[in-house]
Parts: sequence; C-alpha cells; structure tokens
Amino acid sequence: MTAQMIEEAREGLRQFPPALAQEFEAAVEAVLPTLEPDELDQWLRDGLDIARHSLRSWEASSEYFRASGPVLEQITYDQMREWCAVGIDLMETSPALSGALFRASPAVLPHLSVSQANDWSAQGKSLYKGTWKSGSLSAQYFDVSPQILPHLPLSQMRLLVDLIDSLASHSYELASACLGMAPGVLSQLDRADRAPFLEFGGIVAHTAWVDARVYFERGPGALRQVSEDQRPRYLSLAGQVAMQVGRLGHPYFIEAAQAISEVDKDIHEGLLELAEQLAQHSGDAAMEFIKSSPRVAQRLGIDDIARWQEFGLQILQQSRDGGEAFFRLESARGEEVMEALSSRVDLDRVSELIRMYCKALTGVDVGVKASEELTAKGVGWVDESSPTTEGTTIYLPENVERYPTKEENFSVYKVFATHQAGRLEFGSFEYQSELAPDLFPAAQNGSSNGHGNGVVPAVVEGEEEQIHTDMELFFDRFDDRRLAHDLFTIVEDTRIDTIVKREYAGVRRAFSRLQQAAIERRRPVEDMPARQAMVENLLRASLDEIGRIRWPNELAEEMRTPLRILNRIRSEGATVQDSAAATALLYEWLSQIPNVELDSEDWSDFEQEMSADPDGGEDSDMMPGSGSSGLEESFMPFMPGSEEQPYDSPDPVDFRGDFKPELVQLLMKLKGETGTGDAPPIPLTKEQLQELLEKSVEISINELMDMDLAESSGMFLDNLLKEVNQIQGERQEGQQAMGDDSTGADDGEELPVEAASFYYDEWDFRAADYKPRWCRVQEQRGESGTSNYYTETLHEHTQLVQETRKQFEMLRPEMFRKMKRLTDGEDYDLDAVIEWYTEKIAGATSETKLFYRRNKVDRDVAVAFLLDVSASTDEEIQKHHEQRQDDQFDDDPRKYLSWWAQRRAEAARHPGKRIIDLEKEATVLLIEALETIGDKYGVYGFSGYGRDNVEFFVYKDMDEPFGDRIKERIDKIAPVRSTRMGPAIRHCIWKLQNTDAKVKILMLLSDGRPQDHGYGRDRTEKEYAIHDTKMALTEARREGMVPFALTVDRAGHDYLKQMCQDMAYEVVADIESLPRRLPALYRRLTG
Amino acid sequence: MTTATEAITEYRSWAVEEFRAEEEPYYVPVSDEIEVFEAAWNSKIPVLLKGPTGCGKTRFVEYMAYHLNRPLAVVRDGKTEIEDESNLPLVTVACHEDLTASDLVGRYLLEGNETVWIDGPLTRAVKAGAICYLDEVVEARKDTTVLIHPLTDHRRILPVEKKSQLLQARDGFLLVISFNPGYQSALKDLKQSTRQRFIAVEFDYPPRETEAEIVQHESGCDLDVALNLAKMAEKIRNLREHGLAEGASTRLLIYAGRMIAEGVSPRRACQVAIVWPLTDDGEVQRSIEEVVSSIFED
Repeated sequence: MTAQMIEEAREGLRQFPPALAQEFEAAVEAVLPTLEPDELDQWLRDGLDIARHSLRSWEASSEYFRASGPVLEQITYDQMREWCAVGIDLMETSPALSGALFRASPAVLPHLSVSQANDWSAQGKSLYKGTWKSGSLSAQYFDVSPQILPHLPLSQMRLLVDLIDSLASHSYELASACLGMAPGVLSQLDRADRAPFLEFGGIVAHTAWVDARVYFERGPGALRQVSEDQRPRYLSLAGQVAMQVGRLGHPYFIEAAQAISEVDKDIHEGLLELAEQLAQHSGDAAMEFIKSSPRVAQRLGIDDIARWQEFGLQILQQSRDGGEAFFRLESARGEEVMEALSSRVDLDRVSELIRMYCKALTGVDVGVKASEELTAKGVGWVDESSPTTEGTTIYLPENVERYPTKEENFSVYKVFATHQAGRLEFGSFEYQSELAPDLFPAAQNGSSNGHGNGVVPAVVEGEEEQIHTDMELFFDRFDDRRLAHDLFTIVEDTRIDTIVKREYAGVRRAFSRLQQAAIERRRPVEDMPARQAMVENLLRASLDEIGRIRWPNELAEEMRTPLRILNRIRSEGATVQDSAAATALLYEWLSQIPNVELDSEDWSDFEQEMSADPDGGEDSDMMPGSGSSGLEESFMPFMPGSEEQPYDSPDPVDFRGDFKPELVQLLMKLKGETGTGDAPPIPLTKEQLQELLEKSVEISINELMDMDLAESSGMFLDNLLKEVNQIQGERQEGQQAMGDDSTGADDGEELPVEAASFYYDEWDFRAADYKPRWCRVQEQRGESGTSNYYTETLHEHTQLVQETRKQFEMLRPEMFRKMKRLTDGEDYDLDAVIEWYTEKIAGATSETKLFYRRNKVDRDVAVAFLLDVSASTDEEIQKHHEQRQDDQFDDDPRKYLSWWAQRRAEAARHPGKRIIDLEKEATVLLIEALETIGDKYGVYGFSGYGRDNVEFFVYKDMDEPFGDRIKERIDKIAPVRSTRMGPAIRHCIWKLQNTDAKVKILMLLSDGRPQDHGYGRDRTEKEYAIHDTKMALTEARREGMVPFALTVDRAGHDYLKQMCQDMAYEVVADIESLPRRLPALYRRLTG
Repeated sequence: MTTATEAITEYRSWAVEEFRAEEEPYYVPVSDEIEVFEAAWNSKIPVLLKGPTGCGKTRFVEYMAYHLNRPLAVVRDGKTEIEDESNLPLVTVACHEDLTASDLVGRYLLEGNETVWIDGPLTRAVKAGAICYLDEVVEARKDTTVLIHPLTDHRRILPVEKKSQLLQARDGFLLVISFNPGYQSALKDLKQSTRQRFIAVEFDYPPRETEAEIVQHESGCDLDVALNLAKMAEKIRNLREHGLAEGASTRLLIYAGRMIAEGVSPRRACQVAIVWPLTDDGEVQRSIEEVVSSIFED
C-alpha cells in the first residue's frame, strides 16, 4: 500500500521538472522508516499540494521534501505538520519565501520550538512588501536565521528585523548587506549587549541610515572599548543622544567610544552616569563630555569630574552653546574649573615661577624644564620623572600629583627645585681636585688611601690630560667607581640637604615630609649583603632617620664609624671638597667590608648616641684600623657563606633625583664654562669621549638606547657633541651678529624671518566665554618690492601731501605751554599782578592767582594701523560705480552702451584702482604725515584662513625706523585671504602693550565685515565674527587704547554699529577719498 | 634721624639751612666712602652719589654732614655771628619733574604792599655754607642743571638772575647730588657736561652681614631675623632685571624688620613690606613669596 501511494505521488510529480522528482526520491528514502502509513499519505499529499499551488511552487515543494528527512530526525511528524503548516501558509504570500522557510527549517529547529514557528515566519513575512527585492530580502532572512538564532533569541530577532526593515525603506542593497553581516556582528558581541546593540542600530537606521553599514562594521569594535558591564548602558545613551542629534549620533558613538577607551575602565560607569544626566539637556554635551573625558580624567579623579560636570551642567542649563563649549573643552571657564578642581600641579603652569625662584636662590640664570626634555637629548640622563640638573637648567617632572591638595603638590615641586638649586648654589659641581678639604684634614686628597694615587698628578698640564674633569680624576682614585659614586652621592646630598634646611628654614617641613615618604619606600636592609646594607644604612642616615637604620647589634661598632664620617659633613661650612674627602674615607671603610650575606639574629634599630655630636671622636677613629684585616674579621662570625654578592646601588631617593657630577663637569668643561669663564671650549675627540663613556658609571648606555652597544655609544657621543655644539653655535651666532664678517647677511638683504606664532583666545558669544588658545597668529614680515611705488604715490598726490603735512605740522606741540593764573608757579604773571594791584588800590580784594608755570607738553602717541588685506580688497572700485549707475540707463540702452564702451576704453587705459590700492595710498600719505610729527607707529596687515593660520604681516613695526625697507614692503601689500579680525586685533593690542606711550591708538581699516572659515557656525553666519571682533576691540579699550574702526564698505553701518557700539568708527562712503580722509581722521583722533 | 621709639609729641621747625642732626645718624660704612667724601669736601669737589634706591645714600650724606666739622662764622640776615657749631647744616632738596630754577634759587613774594625776596634752598645753602643735597637730580627740569654748573667748578658761584646778583659760596658749601642709574630711561640720564663736574661714589646694597647689622639696629628685630632678612634680600636681588626693576632695598628690609619686631608674622611682614611694594606682577610676586616662605618658617 505504501508503495502504491508513493507511485501515485511519483506519477503526480511528473508534470514538474525532474529536479523535484529527484528530491522526492531522496526524501522518500529518508522518511520512510519513520512515518506510519497514514502519516506518509498525509506527507505525500502535502508535498504535492505545495507543488501544485502555483507556478513556481514546485521549488518550495522541492525544499519541503529535502527538509523533511532532517526535520523528522528532530521532531515528530505531528509537530512537523504544525511547523509545515506555517510554511504552507506562507505560500499564499510567496512560494519563494515558503521555500526559504523549508530550506532553513532543519537548521533553525535546534534553536526554536515548534510553537515559535509562527513568530519566526511572521518576522520574515514582515519584510516582504510584494516586490522582488523585498522578497529576496525576506528569503535572505530565512537563510541567515540558522546563523543568527544561536546568538539571538527569537524575541530579540524582532529588533534586527525592524532595523533591516527600516533600512530597506531606503535601500534594499544596504538592508541586505547588513542582514548578511548580522550573524558575524552578533557573534562578536556579548550576549547582554546584543539587544541594546540592535536597539541603537534601529535608531541609527532611523536617523542616519547611511551610517548603518559602518555601524555594523565598526560598531562591535567600538563597543569593545567600553568596559564590559557598561556596554548596554553606553548603547542606550548613544541611542538617546542619536534621537536628539540625528546624523551626528553615529559618529559620536564611534568617537566617544574611542575616547572612553583611553580612560581607566573603573570609572566608565561614573562617566556614563554623568553623561546620562547631560543627555537629558543636550545630547551634544553628553557626547562631548565623554570625548573630553581622557583629558579631563588625566587631571581629575571621578569625584572631581562629577564636580566639574556639575559646573558645566549649570552653564548648559543657562546656555546650550556655553555648556557644549564647556564640555568640548573649548571654553576658558571649563579649563579654569578643571584647574581649580585638580590637585595636580603642572610644570607648565609653574615653571616660570620656579625659574624665578631658582634664579633668586642661585643668582644664576637657570632654566626650568621638564625632565623629559633632558632625557630626550640622550646625553646620559634616562629617568623622565626625577628632578635633576645638568648645571645650567633644572629639570623637573612634568607634573606632580602626590597629595590631595594643590599646595602640597606645589610644595613637592618646591622641595625638588630647592634641592637642585642647592646643588648649584652650594657648589656640588665645583669639586676641584687640588683643593684641600677643611673638615677632614687627615684625609688629604689621595694621601690617605692606596688606590690609584698616581693618577692625581695627572692634573698638571699636558695637552691630553686637559680633558679630564676634576670629578673624573676623583673617581679614578677608586677601583670600584660605582661604590665611590654612590657614596659621593649620599654624602653630597646629605651636605646639600643639611645646608638647605639650615638656610631655608621655611621648606624644612615639606622637606621632612618627603624624606619621611622616601624612607617608607626603602627596601628592608636585612635582605642585603653586608656592604650594600651599610650603604643603605648610610643613605637612611642621610635622610635624617638614624632610627631607621637596621644593623646587627654585634657589629654596632663597625657601623658607627661610617655614620660619624657622614655626620661630620653636616657641620657648618662643609664644602664639596669635604664631601669628596668623606667619600674617600667611607670608601676606604666600606671597601673592606665583604659584600656577603649577613646572618644575625640580632638585627635591631640603631641607637646613635653620638648623633648630636658630629665632631665626636678623633679623626684617627675614622680611619680603618691599620691592619685593615680587622674589619673583615669582625664580620666573619656573621657570614655563613663566604660568597661575595654583586654590589647593587641603593634605590634612588625621589626628591634628590639624579646626580651626575662627573657628567655635569664634563658638559661644563665642553661648553667652556668652568673656571675662568672665558677659556675657550675644549675640543674633544671622539676617542676621548669614548674613553670617558666606558669609565663613567653615570651613563648606562643600555638604558639610554635600545640598540647594540657599539652603535648606541656612538649615538650617545653624537648627542653629547650636538648638545655642546648647539650652545657654542648660539654663542658664535651672538658674536657674529656683533661683528660684520658674517656671510653676506649685511649687504642690505633681509634675512628671511620665520613666522613667529602667537596664540590668542577667541570670544564665543553663544557660550559667553573665551575659547582658550583658539587662534594662532603667524607673524611675518611683509615681502619687499621696490620703493618706487612709494615715491610715485607721493608724486601723484603732491598737492595732498603738502596739505596734510602742513596740517600735521600744526599738530606738533610747542615744547612748553604757559599755564597762567596759578596760586603758585615759576614766576609772576605780569597781567595778573597788574590786575590784582589795580583792584587792590581800588579797594577790592581779588584772587591771588598771580603765578604762571610753563608745563612741558609731550606728544606721546603710538598708533598701530591694521590693514585688512583679505581677498575682497582685490575688488576694483569701478564696480562700485557700475553698480551705482546701472539703474540710470534702464530706459535707454543706447545711452548705456555708449557709456559702457567709453568706460571700458578708459579702463583699458587706466586699470581700475582696487580697494587695496587705495588702502596703500592712504597708508603712504599717512606715513609721510606721521614722520613729520614723530609719533610712534606700526603698519600691519592681516588675513589668513582658519583659526590656526591667521597671517599677520608686519610692514613696519612699532620700533622700526622708517626707511627704504618699509617703502619696499608697502609696495608688496597685496590681497590674500579671509578676514579674521579678532586675533589680528589682539595681536595689535599686544604690540601696543609693548610700546611705551601715553596715548595708544589702534586703527582698523577694513573693507567689509569680518569673516573666515570657522569664524562662526558656517560661512554665512555673521554674528559670531562680529561679536569676537567687538570683544577684541573692547579688550583694546580695557587696555587703555583707543580703538577706531574705519571701513570702506558702504554697508558698513549695520555691523560697525554693533561691533563698535560706543566706540568711534567711520564709514568712508566715497572710497576714493580714503587717502585724504585717513590723515584727517588721524589728526582728529590725536589732536 | 629719629628712631621709631622716640616720642615726638610736638612738631618742631627749622629754617632749611639751620637743620642739623642732633644725634649721630647711624651709618655703617661699606668701604672707604667716608674718607673719599671727606677728601672731596676738603678740596671742594662736588660729589655724585650713585646707587639703587634705599641703599643708604641719603643717610650717608646726613652722616657726613654730622661729622664734618665747620668751626666758622655764620652769616645770617646780613649779620655775622659766630656760632658754636660742630657739624654742617644739610639742605636736602628732593627733585621732581616740576622743580624749576626759581624753586631752587628763590623768588619775590608779595608781602603787604611790597615784594620780598625769599631765598631758595640752594641759595640758603650757598650762604650758610651747608651741604646741599639734590636727591634724584635727574628728575628735575633741565634748566636746574644749568644753574648748578657755575657752583660746581672752581668759581663756586650761584647767579641769582632776578636780583642780578652773583653769590660766592661760603666755605663748607658742598653740592651733593644723587641719582639712580638703575631705573632711569636713557631720556633721563645725566648729561655728560653735568656728570663730569663731580666725583662719583657708587653705592650698592651692603654685604649680607653688614646689612643684617643695619637692619637689626634700625628695626630693633632679632639678629636671626635680621640675618634672614638680609639673606632674603640677597636672593631677591638676584631677580633684578628679571621681572624686577630694583632689588629689595635695605629700607624695605628695615620696614619688614620693624613689622616683625611689632609682632607681625615674618612671612606676612615680608609680604606687606617687601613683596607688594616691590612689584605688581603677580608671577614675580609669587616667586618672591616662595623665596620668603623658604626662608621664614611660619
């Protein structure tokens, strides 16, 4: 019976393509074992029904048959019928979808229950809109379902479908691409993040569908940068923001994620919470906040960030733009608040202060720089965070953030700087081998120890020995240079600290605090071998912590002597010579102590009874016993093994920093700065340097450079020589500038001057705050042309020149002005006396103001002319005329034509004047006039493009004398680019500030409103630029200057009124009168 | 030269040329300036004192006036009187930019129905044989410098133009001028023709120990405090030309010392007596305050 049923079905399938029959045969094979006969019957009929349903439904049928086998392995036939009913229903919509559903069935069944079939199918169906594109998208849905469902429960799949659906309304290609990517994307995400990811995706699809593909590509990667548990939160925040800001939502998402990855993961939660608060007010602010978080977090802890955010939030509530600028870190207030909240002290901010402080202390012109700068030079210093000095500059860490308050952190800087300054002030680098120590008479240089005595005489002349530094010679006396260097460092630092504390009582407390902190960090002495332990103990003693010395009781006597030596260096009047002598003594003592592990039960704190008595004990006590084996013997009982351990230098003490006396002396010697001062710098061969390098323990090449030794030592030498040459070069330059044998720089040619950069704030009127250091003004000298232009202009305007000159001459004040009728003065004013006398005789008593005084009248005026040389000044003035006259000819074209022809012929003969030409002419006339009255003046031009490229041309600087060069530069005044007035005005203010005059005038000559790229929200926005310019002019006034704006733009009234408000301005209506008008105005301003 | 302790309950007045120090002014010589000045006075060579403000120029002149004996007759109001004087009168004129020649020489005043000639301080000094000290002479108008030329050479003559008179200076008269080369602009420099009529004594702040001694004496503070003040001044003076036009003067140190002696805390005293008077530049102020706080503990 089964066979018959099958045969019938086979018969029924004949009308379809043979491919279907093949599928059928295979399927029968697969299902036959599992199906009861009636079930088989049903199955066959279902298959046939599907195939017969419509034209191409045989394909679906084929899928049905193919899926049957695998499906039946997973579920019962009844369940399968229920499942397939869903597919059959779908036939009504599209057989192709139905086929896709069947095709996917075996693979999705492990992830779905039979009861979910409907949902699953419905979601796919919802993508189908009756078009073939939507059909294939929908089919794709079923096809990828098996790969998606392992990652996403069906309920959440809805989100994906909605997303895709939304995209499909814009582009099927995009939708299909995203759907194809979905499995891969989802697999990259953590389970908890998937739904939020899709939710945000939905919003992106809605607000900025083109970004969807990028979102799928980069989203998971971006998201991974956020702390795991915060990712859903971040996504929902991003979604909330995207709803507000639309298109920007996705870029924000990517950028903010990138930013937050730079912040410690622990505070992500806190940051997001703060951002969420902001998002309620402004999405931009929230995202800008996160984007700024790395910079903010560098300065503030999360609690302070919250305070900072709170401050910004307040601003945000008052002004959206203000708040957004605040969080974008584009407002001066944002920086201020941050600075106020942060306890960190940055070297940037205090370097000038510290520099002056150190200069005061040392009396030398020391520089103060970040340690990084020294290490970057690669001349021997490697530690970027510790304070140090190379003899001329004090190097300090970039910032200090050790304590909770600014004051405390600053005091750390102060201690660092005071110690380094102390090295300079109290002569740590001034060791001279031939000088005798005062405090250690017994320890004459070299005489008391047996090591390398012969080297000392080498100081005497002889060309080659010249390059030795005294410090080098000193260390040469010891076999173990490292030990000697360590001891010298301890002794010398002790000396410096002691003097500093004696001389500068005020820093004592801060000093002690750092000493205390330094000692807390030291490694335990007990673990160290004997010699090293003794060095460590000396170092502890040098930190004023006798009580922190740990030493076996039995050997107390052996520790006492070195301590006594060290203590003596604390006496008043100790010099670096004494330090050297003490070092030699200590070395003598310590070198006899075997560096072997100590084994003693009786480690204890060291009681120093003679600590109060630095001079206690005879000098002979300080010397090791004559039979130097004595020391070693006393140690013997406590040394179980006799194995000599390698000697390690003690850990550095942070506030003392690096101490490299040998290198410093060498550098100073190379620079020719030792001794007499004017000794010529000593040339040094590479070989000699090499030798030094190999000897010195202060330079560890390995740390310095990460290459093989030969190469890196060569590199070091280069750096060292470069450093030295640079200084010598500077010096030579200085000499050359004075002499005249330099290379052709004097034959009238001006050396090209590099543009100097200046930074200025810009006023953001929306935020009602400055954007800090927003604009970069590049000052450069105007190009030179010929002076003919100047002369010709004067010639052309002979009449006018004479007129103005005469008028200006009248401005020149008389040297003295007589002030009459004073109660006291130089002498009697005869008129007043006669009058008084007459009245007196007449019996009237009148005023007794009978004196006169001559008051000296100085004309003390400085003026800065700021010319607008933006591109618009290129415009010909004729055009103005044309525009004006156009309408006159409306009714008579012939008249117009003849006028036009005439005009053109004229224009060909005389090329039309441009605005800039008139500006130049006016300038020439004014200069001519100014020279007659002797006012100080500068002529500048400005243009530029964008905020970091405001070009500022100097045609004549304030203090520059007038001459041919100026004339040549005026020739080359030419239109350039945009008009960003604010920074140019601010730079002019700076110029005027540096000029000494009672009356200062800033005259701005422009041809139109200020505008520039980024000067306002977009190019068409006028408000921003006008407000900034206005603020700049106000600043000028605040500085006691007289700003005056002059424009040749006839539409100028509207914005000038706003820009200048109560300040003086003028619109020169007839532009051609400018050359006449400008001097007249100037007279009026200063007369 | 009244010290802060002496009670002055009523004002006293002198004619300018009669004013003399009653007590010896306190002055600690730094080098041989006393001998030099004496020699100049003996040989009637005018003296130019150069040096920064508050380093003791004026005090030095007072001290010299006190010590230079002049057992001579005094001409006053046309009459000759022999006075038992042991020291020179000192006429000090603080010069300012409106100081004119007639301010120095004298002028007619109206009194009742007639005019009365009143001698100016310079004339009085010339007549009385006093030391005439023109403090900060470059500040005065240029015409005053012309006036002193004939007084400074061998003639020792003061022309009184308005009375058509020439006055020969009496013995004892010595013109002393001071100026501070530090902060004057080139514009206010002394003309060579004027400069080269004087011998010049250069002053600078005294060395630390001496300065401490002076500060202690003048202010009545402890020696420790005085030493610290002097040390601090030395440090601050290192900043000259680097943000500071002038170093902290000894005078300011004395003020600070007095404040401390009065019980003001040292840091605060230095702030009000030294840091703030010295400069208005906030950054420089802070640098100096750091120096102060390094030296003084509270």
